[in-house]
Amino acid sequence: MERVAKFFRSTVAGPMVAFLLVATMASLATPRFLQPQNLANVSLQVATVAVVSIGATLVILTGGIDLSPGSTVALITCTLAILVKKMGYPLWVGIALCLLLGVILGFINGFFSTYGKIPSFIVTLATMSIYRGLAFLITGGTPIFTVSPQLGPLFYGKFLGIPLPFYYVVILYTVGAIFLRNTIPGRGIYAVGGNESAARLTGIAVNRTRLLAFVLAGLTASIGGVLLTAWLNSGSPNYGQELGLQSIAAAVIGGASLAGGIGSMIATLFGALTVAVVQNGLNLLAVPASWQEITLGIVIVLAVGLDMWRETIGRGVSRLFRQPSAR
Amino acid sequence: MSLIVETLNSVQSNPAIEPVWEVRNISKAFPGVQALDNVSMAVFSGEVHALLGENGSGKSTLAKCIAGVYQPESGEIISHANPVTFRNPMDARFAGVATIFQEFSLVPTLTVAENIFLGRFPRLSTGIIDWATIREETDKVLEQLSLKIDPNAVVKTLSVAEQQLVEIAKAISMESSLLIMDEPTAALGLLETQSLMELIRRLTKQDKAIIYISHRLDEVFQIADRVTILKDGKHIVTSPLSELKMSDVVRLMIGYEIQQHYPKETNAKEAVCLEVENLVTENGVNDVSFTVNVGEVFGLGGMLGSGRTEIARAIYGLDHFVSGKILLYGEKVHLRSPVEAVGVGIGYLPENRKADGCFFNFEAPKNITISRLKELLQGPFLSLSQERKVGEAYVKRMNIHPTALEKSVQFLSGGNQQKVIVARWLFSQARLLIMDEPTQGIDIGAKLEVYNVINELTRSGISILLISSDFPELLAMCDRIGVVRDGRILYINEARQMTEYQLIGIASGVGLSGEIEDIAVISS
Repeated sequence: MERVAKFFRSTVAGPMVAFLLVATMASLATPRFLQPQNLANVSLQVATVAVVSIGATLVILTGGIDLSPGSTVALITCTLAILVKKMGYPLWVGIALCLLLGVILGFINGFFSTYGKIPSFIVTLATMSIYRGLAFLITGGTPIFTVSPQLGPLFYGKFLGIPLPFYYVVILYTVGAIFLRNTIPGRGIYAVGGNESAARLTGIAVNRTRLLAFVLAGLTASIGGVLLTAWLNSGSPNYGQELGLQSIAAAVIGGASLAGGIGSMIATLFGALTVAVVQNGLNLLAVPASWQEITLGIVIVLAVGLDMWRETIGRGVSRLFRQPSAR
Repeated sequence: MSLIVETLNSVQSNPAIEPVWEVRNISKAFPGVQALDNVSMAVFSGEVHALLGENGSGKSTLAKCIAGVYQPESGEIISHANPVTFRNPMDARFAGVATIFQEFSLVPTLTVAENIFLGRFPRLSTGIIDWATIREETDKVLEQLSLKIDPNAVVKTLSVAEQQLVEIAKAISMESSLLIMDEPTAALGLLETQSLMELIRRLTKQDKAIIYISHRLDEVFQIADRVTILKDGKHIVTSPLSELKMSDVVRLMIGYEIQQHYPKETNAKEAVCLEVENLVTENGVNDVSFTVNVGEVFGLGGMLGSGRTEIARAIYGLDHFVSGKILLYGEKVHLRSPVEAVGVGIGYLPENRKADGCFFNFEAPKNITISRLKELLQGPFLSLSQERKVGEAYVKRMNIHPTALEKSVQFLSGGNQQKVIVARWLFSQARLLIMDEPTQGIDIGAKLEVYNVINELTRSGISILLISSDFPELLAMCDRIGVVRDGRILYINEARQMTEYQLIGIASGVGLSGEIEDIAVISS
């Protein structure tokens, strides 16, 4: 009992409940939602946004924000397509170079928003534009299709009957969770976001910590970009338009505070799942794209609102049931 | 009652008989401290009424009650014989109270003129702001202060002294019958102070009542007609200043009963821990030299803004050095950032523990271990079970409330939060701990615990640099004290050879010796 109560007080409870709510609603709305084929589909759909959300969470935990991952993803899909298809590099070399590029793009975001003293919102607003512009520049604006026959299996392959992206997500989130909970830089990220001034006075290298969060965000965005290229076997400067906002949505539905210092990997995963299930459910119901976007917006407000109002609601509920106490 | 009779009797020389502003039996408490306890005070038009007391005596709180910033729990505020209630500073302003607060209330990104008229912009009949009038009025006000500041200058581009003067200009530009000045000269130089004194004299001729709060007794004796002295939130005396000598005022401020228990242990050793030589910083520290022995408590005494905190900041690597050097255990250390300071074994208990000390997103164990996470490493990973053990051990040792193990330190009392931060530096094995106002805003019981912690620290060979505005505390808990004023250490002596009387005298610029009557010794 104590354990149950503790769970409900923990930060994971909110997003988990949100996820179960939308999943229940989706399964009630259409029987197709729970079919194995569809669930496998969901795991494919969730992969990109979930991976990108890891970085979003790290940046948000430091008290920053990253608007650029969608553009990073687009630039990565184009770069990988060009490296492999047009320049003939082996796929593995192309992927490695793309991850390196992701790190560099993240470093640029981090450098200007720490040592450059420009708010991260502004820096990543600018790079959001710049990185996508670069994607248009290197492709001349035309998508590159059928990049490599080797890409498909990376995404559509299965292990023990479960699609590979499922494993990618599990592995990356496990690594992310351990990094945050059990390493010194991970703790530093929480400290910087929780109280920057106290962190500085305690001898934490605040700028370096923030920079690290952005570099890791660049890395996860580039992994997301590689996954997307594999999924669609193509690269296009138009890809990933919605990923920036969706990754932030996943983190905040997961209870991350935009002020920094509060949030966790597992909670973000449930946030990402919630986003993916909403999309999948609406797709199954053949709801037009415009209404999908509107619904997602409402889900974000409700999920975060529930978290914010949790205390008030809790107090109201306990007042309803409170016995007159003999004090 | 006798008090009011006393004040009425003592003011016969004044033109007005009825006080224009009066507070009666005001009380105000903050968590853990009774800031004002049944205080009464009357101000007459055309009078400069000095409000004096030590740090924490309740002067600023009283000023803020009259200015509508705080709402007193009991008592009355009476304006022109009518009781008034202020729910907020706006109410007080409309009732004719203009206030110059100790903390600036200017908007740094607006211009001087915009700041002066903020919230009460005159408008044309079309509803558009009447910039011509603003411009004209601003010029007039600045001229009154004989200020050469461009009304169109953005406030943040001005020096601190200029900002202070704009703050004053803003207050006097308002229609008011009472002007409250809380430490108006703290940031001013000699000339600016003199022109402010002249302005105050002119204002009293216009029948304004002025409440003047200052640590600088020399100024008070230049300008004030009467004085009210507070101590520990209680009214001590109200008297015409002409009937008091400066030495009387100091004695009244200190009070007769300095009976508090300080469990001082002397643990200072021969060996030297910290040597500061000719330190000059960009932030106003001016040629400061001193040493701190192993296990010694070295106090930095001085008024707010005297430079005590800046000296500490420099030692902690927060401010840039211009020249000078620092040696720790005989070795020259480079302290360009707190990272380096922590690395060589210095810890810092910040003055504002909520804003600069606590991590509210962490429970106590994480707040403690953050200073030396390396200790928890098992391979590349932090051992959370080890962390838990460390947390439990320190919570027990420091007598911290045990809920801190599970809950955010946000829910702890001030004293407990302070102990969590001390525990942080114990865990980091700091050899020198800088404590900036460690007992500010915590209750007597928690203070005692902090004193015991100081003893425990020095017993184990840690040296302490103690900054405190609580002079009795400083005198009792330190082995030696350096008195700071204007970024310099003016005087260093053993604490037990100093009196509070001397300490206040030197810190407020009255004089180095006992002859406080001699006003002109140090005044700049």
